[in-house]
Amino acid sequence: MNSTPSAETLAPEHALERQGLRLGDVLFKGVALAASALAVAVLALIAWKVIDLAWPSITDFGLSFIWTEAWDPVRNVYGALTFIYGTAVTSFIALLLATPISIAIALFLTEIAPRRVAAPIATMVELLAAIPSVVLGLWGILVFGPWVRDNLEPALGSAFGFIPLFSGSPSQAGLLPAALVLTIMIIPITSAICRELFSRVPKDLMDGAMALGTTRWEAIRSVLLAYAAPGIAAAVLLGLGRAFGEAIAISQVIGGSDRIDTASLFAPGDALGARIAAQFQGADSVLLQGSLLYLAAILMVISLLTNVAAQVIVRRFEKQRRAV
Amino acid sequence: MKKAIVTVLAILVAASVAALAGRAEAAPAKAQDVSIVGTGATFPFPLISKWIPELGKALGISLTYSPTGSGAGIAGVTARTVDFGASDAPLSPDQLAACKGCVVIPWALSATSIPYNIPGLTGRLKLDGPTLANIYLGKITNWNDPAITSLNGGVTLPDLKITPVYRSDGSGTTYNFTEYLASVSREWKEGVGFSTAVSWKAGVGARGSSGVAGVVKSTPGALTYVDVAYSLQNTFTFAQVKNRAGKFATPGLRGIQAALSKVPDKVTELSQLKIVDPPAAAGPLAYPIVTFTYVIVPTDAKKAADLRKMVYWAVTQGQKFGPPLLFQPLPKPVQAFAYREIKKIGTAAGA
Repeated sequence: MNSTPSAETLAPEHALERQGLRLGDVLFKGVALAASALAVAVLALIAWKVIDLAWPSITDFGLSFIWTEAWDPVRNVYGALTFIYGTAVTSFIALLLATPISIAIALFLTEIAPRRVAAPIATMVELLAAIPSVVLGLWGILVFGPWVRDNLEPALGSAFGFIPLFSGSPSQAGLLPAALVLTIMIIPITSAICRELFSRVPKDLMDGAMALGTTRWEAIRSVLLAYAAPGIAAAVLLGLGRAFGEAIAISQVIGGSDRIDTASLFAPGDALGARIAAQFQGADSVLLQGSLLYLAAILMVISLLTNVAAQVIVRRFEKQRRAV
Repeated sequence: MKKAIVTVLAILVAASVAALAGRAEAAPAKAQDVSIVGTGATFPFPLISKWIPELGKALGISLTYSPTGSGAGIAGVTARTVDFGASDAPLSPDQLAACKGCVVIPWALSATSIPYNIPGLTGRLKLDGPTLANIYLGKITNWNDPAITSLNGGVTLPDLKITPVYRSDGSGTTYNFTEYLASVSREWKEGVGFSTAVSWKAGVGARGSSGVAGVVKSTPGALTYVDVAYSLQNTFTFAQVKNRAGKFATPGLRGIQAALSKVPDKVTELSQLKIVDPPAAAGPLAYPIVTFTYVIVPTDAKKAADLRKMVYWAVTQGQKFGPPLLFQPLPKPVQAFAYREIKKIGTAAGA
């Protein structure tokens, strides 16, 4: 600091401060850059390692791994179809159920409920996300699964039994219980984002619409929801990402089946993350370990595609809105 | 404000320096306590939990064991991330080669029980191997199937769907159970085979002993397989299984002891310790789903002397903690085999 005597003579304290600021800027830039570089590097390293460890299985089974329905550690034959199907079905059902519920929760909390009621409910919905997934899985086995088996599935079966999806004998561990546990897990995320979105819609817009004579529902539909649409789409896809990646709770309630026996949602199945969580630790052959990591690679690709889709959708919405 | 931050930082630094110095001083004082880390099979875990405090008292060894499953035990010791692994399945030739000079030592002996949930059934359920195989193959699906009722002469079984429950994670108990099914059912041997994880034909999977137990508890008509110590601790009712002598046997200590008839007076290799489905000569008490469980130690282990002491203690003194948990103490010939194998620990280069 003594190296700049001219500054010191002019206004010593200011110069020091300015220099400190500059140093701060440089430091901040450096830290920010390092942090983002680290994130990118970690992702790249993980992706590389996953593919590296999956290599025995990739060279052995090739791309046909993706559409092969087999998982036989005795004969060392593996395929991903059962798990891709399970992940897709459970995540899709979870999304189908969680999206309207989340939007309804968010609307209730921002537009309908008085503040005194809204705050504690919002906290409780968010606390739902704080339940460790292994605890949710345990609850799924011991409480929720039996309820689904004894009440929900028989009711669905008697009402919609003619659809293959809802036929077959009820089971406490299967695709439907897994999808419902997933629904519970993604509601807090989607609803929190939706609430944030709705609270940012300018009040004037809503007031304006109501002043024009719309009912509250019409204003919500044509102003609030339209305004927040790209955000909602992004929130839904974030929830989907969570659903794809969830492993522990699903592995406890999905039934760990090696095959797709029926089209029934009541039947046991398995999902990508769940299979990895269940069998990776005990994988005692190179090919089994490789195949589990092949599943991981597929999961990463699916997540990447979902993310890209989310960005495309958000951009298209934004363009539309600008055009309007 | 700045001053406050600097002060806080200074205090933190001082505290951590002091803490480090304290550790450095404390370390030599506890030198006689050796820590040994192991991982693997859940099957012997109830017994190992009893051993941990006793090992500390007897040898000053502090043992840490995580019950992660047999596959994880084999993988862990192969990668040398732990001091020893534990597995209910002896290593295959490939695995033994990959482990580069590991010794596999039998250190506990117990049985796999078949718990079930049949509401209203008061007597003990009786099953035989082919029936069990057919249940898990999906060929027998109802408890009132003639194959089951004929085994349980006189007892009326309900018209109830059978839900066979299996471990979805790799497990030594699965190895023991499927090894038994493969030895009694040709169809099982050819269609499924045996391993720590297999391609199941019917039923529902759950994770870990606690997972399968949870499903069985809450599913009327369910049936599964878990180590008998686990069944005992959770007060499950489990089935009697028909042996080669034509009698229905219980997985108690006498049933396990009788199943050892095939073990020769001088054990020279691990393959002689395959004891599932013992011959009729084993007698009427022999329970057919019995297994040794093994500790896997690298011959180039760094803590060779302490590992030798620990395993020796386990196969001698440690055995007396077994019976209350339905672990039958190792027979003499198996102990003698274990002594010979223990001597190999620490003989390889790098020890």
